[in-house]
Amino acid sequence: MDAQKIRDALTDITAEQDPTLKSAKLASLCSALWLEHGVELVVVGGSAIEILTEGAYASGDLDMCHTTAATLSVAQRNKIMALLGAKGGPRNWQVAGMYLDLLGWAESFARTPFRRVEAPYGRILVMKPEDLLVERVFVSFYTGENKTARDCAKILTAVALRKEIEMDWNEVRRLANLPAYRNLSQCAKLVKKVADELKINNPLHPD
Amino acid sequence: MNLKSTIPCIPIEGSISWADWLKGRRARRESSQLVAPGVIRRKTSSSDRRLKKLFNGERGLPFTPTEKL
Repeated sequence: MDAQKIRDALTDITAEQDPTLKSAKLASLCSALWLEHGVELVVVGGSAIEILTEGAYASGDLDMCHTTAATLSVAQRNKIMALLGAKGGPRNWQVAGMYLDLLGWAESFARTPFRRVEAPYGRILVMKPEDLLVERVFVSFYTGENKTARDCAKILTAVALRKEIEMDWNEVRRLANLPAYRNLSQCAKLVKKVADELKINNPLHPD
Repeated sequence: MNLKSTIPCIPIEGSISWADWLKGRRARRESSQLVAPGVIRRKTSSSDRRLKKLFNGERGLPFTPTEKL
């Protein structure tokens, strides 16, 4: 990406006052620049949930991981981020009026692909909603009741049930049965509750 | 007429265009609000210090109201 295009993108992202658009555009720009160096980034955590649900959840930091074990050296990372005028590093930067955290290799158990958004500066990869849903249900019960995690699981379920994101429910079932989670009954209970609220058939119904 | 069918879906295979992703924002927000109304952003986290410094005491920019999406 040439320097003028980067400057134009930064001007746009810095001026952006919608937190979800700002986050998605920054993810797009960073993804494109890292990909030029052979490393694919993916949006994870709350930032991914926001891109998938618009649920008014994410805070002002964008969490990204790399999709393979291989990443860039500290020097390469800082060189790329310097092109964006980023402060900090080598894993956290302040850039274009928000924070970017690079969290390492993306942990995913789902066999479905990362979701893909063709954003203005390059394609964004987004963590799989199947992973996000099962993990949030797990977190919502792991150390006592966690309402925020439960709300995240509910909004992921709602947008999936209303077909605004495509969810592989068989994969949700498989993940929830993995030793890492063992929470199928909790997932099924939450999905049933949301499906009942929305008066939509429950895709995790035992029959 | 099924109005829901006009709302672009984020697919498993392939990708969604930016225009379609933007077009679906309001519907996704409305669905989310049905089951978890209001702002559900965490009140606190280990990033509070840096976030509140950058966002004038808040943990991020304010969300765009649903009717403006």
